[in-house]
Amino acid sequence: MLVQFYNVSKVYSNGVKALNDISLKIDRGEFIFLMGPSGAGKSTLVKMLIREEVPTRGQIFVTSRSIVRMKRSEIPVLRRNIGMVFQDFKLLENKTVAENISFAMKVVGANSHDMRQRVTEVIAMVGLKGREDSFPNQLSGGEQQRIGIARALVNRPLLLIADEPTGNLDMDTSLEIMELLYDINRKGTTVIMATHARELVKNSYKRVIMLDAGTVYSDGSLGEVSI
Amino acid sequence: MNTMRYFFSETLKSLRRNQLLTIATLSTVTICILILGAAVLLTINAGKFINQLESDLEMMVFVEDSLDKNDLADLGRKIKQIPGIKSVQFISKDQALAKLQSKFDAKQYDLKKTVGDNPLPNSFKVKAKKPRDVPQIAKQIFKLEGVYKVNYGQGMVERLFHITRWVRIISIILIVLLAMGAVFLIATTIRLAIFSRRKEIYLMKLIGATDWFVRWPFFIEGILLGSMGALLAVILLALGYGTLVNNMQTTVFFIPLINNQKELLEIYLSLFGAGAVLGCLGTIISLNRFLDV
Repeated sequence: MLVQFYNVSKVYSNGVKALNDISLKIDRGEFIFLMGPSGAGKSTLVKMLIREEVPTRGQIFVTSRSIVRMKRSEIPVLRRNIGMVFQDFKLLENKTVAENISFAMKVVGANSHDMRQRVTEVIAMVGLKGREDSFPNQLSGGEQQRIGIARALVNRPLLLIADEPTGNLDMDTSLEIMELLYDINRKGTTVIMATHARELVKNSYKRVIMLDAGTVYSDGSLGEVSI
Repeated sequence: MNTMRYFFSETLKSLRRNQLLTIATLSTVTICILILGAAVLLTINAGKFINQLESDLEMMVFVEDSLDKNDLADLGRKIKQIPGIKSVQFISKDQALAKLQSKFDAKQYDLKKTVGDNPLPNSFKVKAKKPRDVPQIAKQIFKLEGVYKVNYGQGMVERLFHITRWVRIISIILIVLLAMGAVFLIATTIRLAIFSRRKEIYLMKLIGATDWFVRWPFFIEGILLGSMGALLAVILLALGYGTLVNNMQTTVFFIPLINNQKELLEIYLSLFGAGAVLGCLGTIISLNRFLDV
């Protein structure tokens, strides 16, 4: 078991109830779509997984470790096992493709030899070979998201969380990104993808967790749940 | 090693990328340290002047004429035994008259002839170890037998101490306020630098950077800006103070200005250190808010 949520609730200090008594289990190697309308609690759930937010009530375990009781100094270790992909890519504009990716390895103190080797590897994996020295603004949206994915993968995370990764992309590019994410999942990385895009989920035959008003509305593979 | 190189290269990149902000911070620190340094030099010089004024304080103990040689020696011993006494010097009637006479021109005015019998009393010139104890010691001496008057500039001395105490308090408050102002200004400019990189900091934290990994480049930047600014200020201050000392020694020579190279070097080094510390403090104040991810 990779992730477990036990009766997790979250009420923000302004009184907004984001999550209400959520229990979930996610196995290693799964590919999960997290769906629901705006304000359903998708972002809060994702933020809790990386310990950006803590639940008001309940427990969350990642690799059998409680991340609720985790000390501040232990948070970086948790985050190094989780790769994050963002809707707005969050790339550093003044760094090249290779630098944006190696940045994630520098942050965790990797040595330069390992860094060079691994960066070349992930750049090939996401299909950006030959673009290493380009700057993000010289690339298309899809290519920029590929940098984001490479950066999330470079430290070999157990879990990849993609928060609306296709939100800023057209349909064809979105499908390419989806293929890349499926490929990463096939190689063993657990993937959780929060999305609004029903058309990407429809033919995926993956597990879909539907959230609505802070609760799990439905949880199952396609056919078992209606989206 | 790799990480250290990363910290320094990040610092240099940030300084280069935010050139305008770098210049703004640098000049802020320079001006702050310059004012702070001027205040410190002023305070130290005022303190020295005050110390000199205070150490000049002495008591004149006048004794009754009826005391013979033995009584005088006895009284001298008794005064010496009072705790806090630094020195006791006996001045006989004749010495007193001679001293008075020396103030007049002997040829024009012979005091001895004019006044006949020497009317001046025997006396002791007494100095206290701590000038502040003078009024209290004077009271004790006055109680001794054979003493008829103790003079130390009553009233004036108390007022002097009152003034010097306030000068000291005000200068300390001034320095503390200036230092606080400097920290605030540096913190604000560093906060602007951090704000322009908040996206990067957020990303670093999400990727799994420790707080210290994020902090170090900013710390180095803060310390570098603080000490570079302080260095500039110290150079300006040293030039300005050197010129001032040279001019004042010829015009207002009675005000003692510190001109001891070792002492001055210590002050300048402290100011330089203060710049680095202020830079560091400014970074701590500004950074923690952005690390809370």
